[in-house]
Amino acid sequence: AVPVSAAVAAAPSEGAMSNGVYVPPSAANGDVKPVVSTTPLVDFLMQLEDYTPTIPDAVTGYYLNRAGFEASDPRIIRLISLAAQKFISDIANDALQHCKMKGTASGSSRNKSKDKKYTLTMEDLTPALAEYGINVKKPHYFT
Amino acid sequence: RSGSKQPTTPADNYYLARRRTLQVVVSSLLTEAGFESAEKAAVETLTEMLQSYISEIGRSAKSYCEHTARTQPTLSDIVVTLVEMGFNVETLPAYAKRSQRMVITAPPVTNQPVTPKALTAGQNKPHPSHIPGHFPEFPDPHTYIKTPTYREPVSDYQVLREKAASQRRDVERALTRFMAKTGETQSLFKDDVSTFPLIAARPFTVPYLTALLPSELEMQQMEETDSSEQDDQTDTENLPLHMSTDDSGPEKENASVLQQNTSLSGSRNGEENVIDNPYLRPVKKPKIRRKK
Repeated sequence: AVPVSAAVAAAPSEGAMSNGVYVPPSAANGDVKPVVSTTPLVDFLMQLEDYTPTIPDAVTGYYLNRAGFEASDPRIIRLISLAAQKFISDIANDALQHCKMKGTASGSSRNKSKDKKYTLTMEDLTPALAEYGINVKKPHYFT
Repeated sequence: RSGSKQPTTPADNYYLARRRTLQVVVSSLLTEAGFESAEKAAVETLTEMLQSYISEIGRSAKSYCEHTARTQPTLSDIVVTLVEMGFNVETLPAYAKRSQRMVITAPPVTNQPVTPKALTAGQNKPHPSHIPGHFPEFPDPHTYIKTPTYREPVSDYQVLREKAASQRRDVERALTRFMAKTGETQSLFKDDVSTFPLIAARPFTVPYLTALLPSELEMQQMEETDSSEQDDQTDTENLPLHMSTDDSGPEKENASVLQQNTSLSGSRNGEENVIDNPYLRPVKKPKIRRKK
């Protein structure tokens, strides 16, 4: 999704306005999706009152403070930790897909299902991260 | 990050505790995804990514917030940040509602070491107004207040006079004893010479000479002003020798007086006379009329 907010200075003023979000005329083609407003997230923020994400608030708050971010609302911290968690779990799921693909691609497990023991290795993680644009290089072991 | 052998400071411990927590979080997320085990390098990679992700969100949200002339980041700043980082915000509520999730306990917070009541001495200085309140307190005053270790000198007049008088008496006695030990001595008692030695008196042939002539101090002053003129310098050097010899005849005495007069008149050019004693002014020579 491409953020719309600060974008086009030369945009004509006749762009359509719907629920407070400026939609440029090119959106009619369908290749640019407008960013959703924050309304559903505001509701979600209310739900975060008693929700504890996996990352403790203190840890996330510590790293945010190091970056200069002073959170006024503890729910903001929980939102950020949730986002970070999702980020990592998305990568983990992609790596799991790679692992499963490598396992079943050879055709070894026809009779029995693939054993449930998956091990995350760098060989699975590297292509998963490459899709996100992150290139990791594991140093070769010196024997 | 500190190496394994270096001693860890409290700041390092603080940092490491949180990093370990992140590692635990990553491990729990991987377990949720379905992995049984993972490579150490992979876990480290994901931990590092998680840490930089959170830091980047914080930095970027702060920048967006400051971009709009605000100081407190809001939800909109974070949404814009997440969108900029390529994160699909719409899926977030769905993710939150997933079933299995584990809660990790926060790392223990250690309080600042508090000095026990028995060891505190004195009141800590309160913060001046320009120091924020969350800064640590000032240390105990005994750590920076210094007490001079010398005693105050006695300023009582009576004691001081007594001390000065006794010191002068002691100095005099020491000096006279020194002179008696090193110079000639006379003794009042015939048989006992060493008990009460007296400094032997040196008789001057011309006793009234010292009364007539100026003191040594003035001689030195004249010598200093006279140093530019080379002729008179030899005369002034000879003069003290004349004074100290015992066998100076009357002719030599007159000659020495005359020589001193010439030196005095010679040195008058550059000398600012501090003492204006009429008896010490240079003698005006009488005009000698030559009768043809």
